[in-house]
Amino acid sequence: MNINSFIEQARPHESGSKHVSGYANYIDDIIEPEGTLYGAIGYSKKTRAIISKLDLREVWKSEGVVSVVTSKDIPGRNDVGPVYDGDPIFTKRPEYFGQPLFAVAATSAELARKAVLKAKITYKILKPIIDIKEALRKKLFVLKGRKIKRGNPLKKIVRAKNCIKKTFRLGSQEHFYLEGQIAFVIPQEDNDFKVYSSTQHPSETQQIIAKMLNQKNNNINVEVRRVGGGFGGKETQSFIFASICTLLSKKTKCPVKLRMDRDDDIIITGKRHDFYADYEIGFNNKGIIEGVKIKLLSRCGISPDLSGAINSRALLHIDNAYYISDLLVENYLCKTNTSSSTAFRGFGGNQGMMVIENIIDNVARYLKKDSAEIRKINFYQKNKKNITHYGMKIEDNVINEIFNKLIKSSNYKKRKKNIKKFNLKSKYLKKGIAITPVKFGISFTTTHLNQAGALVHVYYADGSVHVSTGAIEMGQGTYTKIAQIVANELGVNYNNVKVSSTRTDKIPNTSASAASSTTDLNGAAAVNAVNKIKQNLASFVKKKYNLKSDKAIYRNGNVNFKGKKFTFNSLVKEAYLNRVSLSSSGFYSTPKIHFNNKTFTGRPFLYFCYGAAVSEVLIDTLTGENKILRVDILHDHGRAINPAIEKGQIEGGFVQGAGWLTIEEVKWKSNGELLTHSPSTYKIPAVNDMPLKFNVKIYKNINKENVINKSKTTGEPPLMLGMSIFFAIKDAIASVGNYKIIPNLNAPATTESILLSINHIKRIYEK
Amino acid sequence: MTSNIVKFVYKNKICEIEDPDPNETILNYVRTKLKKTGTKEGCAEGGCGACTIVLAELKKNNIDYKAINSCIAFLPSLEGKQLILVEDLVFEDKLHPVQKAMVNYHASQCGFCTPGFVMSLFAMYKNNSSYKEEIIKDSIQGNLCRCTGYRPIIDAAKSLNTESKFDHFSKNKNITLSLLKKINQRDIAIYNNNKKYFAPKSIKQLKNIIQKESNSKLISGGTDVSLIVTKEKKDLNSLIYMNSIDELNYLKEKNGYIEIGATTPLINLESFIKKFFPDFSSILRRYGSVQIRNVCTVAGNIGTASPIGDTLPLLLTLDTQVVINGKNKTQILPLNSFFLGYRKTKLKKGQFIQSIRIPLSKKNIFKAYKISKRIDDDISSVCASFNVEINNNIIKKIKIAYGGMSNIPKRAFNCEKILLNSYLSDKTIKKAKRLLEKDYKPITDTRASKEYRMQIAKNLLEKCFIEIRQKKLIRINF
Repeated sequence: MNINSFIEQARPHESGSKHVSGYANYIDDIIEPEGTLYGAIGYSKKTRAIISKLDLREVWKSEGVVSVVTSKDIPGRNDVGPVYDGDPIFTKRPEYFGQPLFAVAATSAELARKAVLKAKITYKILKPIIDIKEALRKKLFVLKGRKIKRGNPLKKIVRAKNCIKKTFRLGSQEHFYLEGQIAFVIPQEDNDFKVYSSTQHPSETQQIIAKMLNQKNNNINVEVRRVGGGFGGKETQSFIFASICTLLSKKTKCPVKLRMDRDDDIIITGKRHDFYADYEIGFNNKGIIEGVKIKLLSRCGISPDLSGAINSRALLHIDNAYYISDLLVENYLCKTNTSSSTAFRGFGGNQGMMVIENIIDNVARYLKKDSAEIRKINFYQKNKKNITHYGMKIEDNVINEIFNKLIKSSNYKKRKKNIKKFNLKSKYLKKGIAITPVKFGISFTTTHLNQAGALVHVYYADGSVHVSTGAIEMGQGTYTKIAQIVANELGVNYNNVKVSSTRTDKIPNTSASAASSTTDLNGAAAVNAVNKIKQNLASFVKKKYNLKSDKAIYRNGNVNFKGKKFTFNSLVKEAYLNRVSLSSSGFYSTPKIHFNNKTFTGRPFLYFCYGAAVSEVLIDTLTGENKILRVDILHDHGRAINPAIEKGQIEGGFVQGAGWLTIEEVKWKSNGELLTHSPSTYKIPAVNDMPLKFNVKIYKNINKENVINKSKTTGEPPLMLGMSIFFAIKDAIASVGNYKIIPNLNAPATTESILLSINHIKRIYEK
Repeated sequence: MTSNIVKFVYKNKICEIEDPDPNETILNYVRTKLKKTGTKEGCAEGGCGACTIVLAELKKNNIDYKAINSCIAFLPSLEGKQLILVEDLVFEDKLHPVQKAMVNYHASQCGFCTPGFVMSLFAMYKNNSSYKEEIIKDSIQGNLCRCTGYRPIIDAAKSLNTESKFDHFSKNKNITLSLLKKINQRDIAIYNNNKKYFAPKSIKQLKNIIQKESNSKLISGGTDVSLIVTKEKKDLNSLIYMNSIDELNYLKEKNGYIEIGATTPLINLESFIKKFFPDFSSILRRYGSVQIRNVCTVAGNIGTASPIGDTLPLLLTLDTQVVINGKNKTQILPLNSFFLGYRKTKLKKGQFIQSIRIPLSKKNIFKAYKISKRIDDDISSVCASFNVEINNNIIKKIKIAYGGMSNIPKRAFNCEKILLNSYLSDKTIKKAKRLLEKDYKPITDTRASKEYRMQIAKNLLEKCFIEIRQKKLIRINF
């Protein structure tokens, strides 16, 4: 028995004590060298225009201003687009309200922010496109869409017993990480720059800055200790701030900090893609889907950014957990004059899943059946109906088991009956209930990104271990989990392992901490590094002590070879004295995966995460207000490295997903100006939005694939558990028309859209 | 005697700042001058709670711990208080029970909001003896967390029920008390470059200053005014801070009305008014976060005259009177005619609101509703208030007012007229609902469309009478 295994332990977050005492340093908390300057960005106050004159004289004269930079000061590439161009650092032809035009460095943040307001800008105004349907009409796209097809859906739809043709809208979402965008740059010798950036992607930050400055990548060193919340909002959206900050530092030859004001942050950066779906579906009397045709439109904003991959993931998840034999999906990546939509937990997958879930819900309502039954009969099966529309065989399917178990443990059927009874008696307040499944594919769909590096040092003097990887700690607990993994591999105490900040000069060519795969990839790279050190030790011991085998067990601070025992500390000391390397880099690339983007087929995912949630809500039919009464979740995280951290991800993801589909509403004025750019106008869930009863249970399972400890990631998938809230609300609304009319409800289901939907039902029902 | 030095207690010492910049926020001071970076800026508008600190105040011979948003509190408001930061909770290298609970219950993920939660829960821990779910939720409704979904934070807070209530602040209580008393607050007058700031201690002094500095902005709480500095990046060149005047911080019941002093924080009113008008108290709980309610005041709400100030429609239906003071004698004005236009009132230069009076009646039914996107800390789409007297099913008296329906909080006179002296029936209500269209022309904005506003205004009227007739509440939220 392994007494001191640090894996599968509910350890507190490695920074927990520092978080609660204020000693966890975020970028704004780093001690500033003397002479540090502070930046601010001047941005377009028009949605689409040509700048005919940018008069910055008053800005230069403003108190405390040391320097002003515009596009003229950029020696290299004036763009921060990650895959394609389209995101200029400073533009002369703004395409959205909030697009950066220039920046200043001043002696204080307040003075810098005051100064940028003094610019005199003359605009030649052009007509903006804000609505995605208008963009489609005008054929304005950031990238070409695609058409994916399996079987003969059109024929199937025509021949089906029943058919529904409808539309569905899904709202955008602001990340609202609590730590706003920030960068801090200290110039070094040789024109090198030390860049502290609150980013999920240090390597790309490095590349983009190098290109901007026309310098080599080895001049730029990006360091990230922790990020105060990312959720995808710092996968690419941090680049422009790190770039501008470095540019200001280069020009002034001073350290510069650029910390965004919350409103400016929200106005400048991209958000989740809002979607619009047009669909037609044919199904039989049992509710089995026979054919689906979907037209998917997404708001991509002004540039491609990550929209290609995000919209691909929407297509890859349009099935959620359902086998759809015949389907046709066409998607359109609409260009609008709004900030460039970007990565957000779920990465398009959740939008695709909501579309099919809404379809299934409508099928059930059409047939007057329980939607749980319709879901079940359409699920992927184990030995048949197990090939996805992109040709991947599902080998780890547990959705049927999870769903059945949760229906039982949540007492779904009885509660559904009771709710119907309650609704008959209650005239104004109505209840609703729904259960929804989640199946989410794990791996970057861009196959080459599925790689990671690590660097592990063992210090001979005391046996302590230092670990670096490409993983970014942004609250998901990856540092804690990687330390647990390394401690377990070396059989040393968890407290002897330190995972240090992520730096591009230690780990090169990293992928973003994204796609839920950070620990899977970086943890495995760390294990690879540990194994190389162990190999060094084994060869040394085998040779020196003339052992038959070089196999050893690392446990409880001891290393046991067959025929020779060491304490870990004495072994590494001895190895050092015998000139054996105690340091190694490590590397990992995900096996098995491949994907042909042209044919849209292959195995893009190593494995799938599964889960399901039952939600019960209460709505007020006079006001549209609603309350989450109870939520039951059953989720599969394999054999977790840290069950407490995974539970935190599940609960937090659920609440974030529920927020996306209920109270979180991103709104633009018809002229393209963002209306919701502060906590007073954009509401993320607060404590009283929590379910009154919240039961989160783990489905016991192991990952079939070779992932560390047979665990499964949590990360993104739990966000989609929040879908159940939306359909519970829809169920409550349907009760107003005695479940005879399918409610027209789009997301987010705000109090206003709930009341609108009730009005619609009442109009028909009371006729 | 006036002083230009702001004095406050920090770490068992009295700290002094001479002529501080009156537009500097406490947050900025703490982070850049004290170099304590545990307190975070999340939004600079008092909307996320990351900047929460605790100010301890003398209350008779006791200490009151108040969580506030340091991002919208100006530095001179530290005068006479003890400043407590998240770092100060650690004692002899050991975490405070609140901090320990947060670690043990996995209540931090990215950790950026965490110091704010710790401080809100610390104030709760000090001010209460047990921590029920309702108190916990109330204490952290002004703290946003984007990672956890709140469950572990609530569990951490619940676990405090079994923790010792004695911490190093209890241990140092006598020292703190003596230091706070030693400061012996004076009238403050600060001149910093071209900025002025006055914090008189008495009504008499206030009257003097307000005449001399008649172009000054009056602040009573200042949670709204401060955004001019933090968000619009403008200077407030002359401020008169009313909250040092203890004479104006009172709540009393006499001669058939209740009187509320101008500088009484809403948090005090909330508990006081519960027995007279329970719905008033409920609305106050959703008025804003604890951090906001700890500093903002009814007088401030009236003075700001915001169309969405949540106390205003309630006060309008309650026939509230505003007691105005200034150069001349005190004047009593009905609130009904106090608002002239968008954020404009009858208050003239050199005048200030001294108190408000709410008449009490035994026969009336008072109801208030707030509809907003989010339950906690949100601005109303519509706030409605009804004050009704019914006798034998005849509506004998009726006052109706709405917020969010017009450019000022306004009574629904047309609607009231049709209801007055009429028999309470479905037909009457239907007619009255229609007349609201004559009373209001709401607008579409970030929070709601004009159509939705009108519909909920009508539906709330209906709801009010349904509740009266069925003699029960039909509510989802408190």
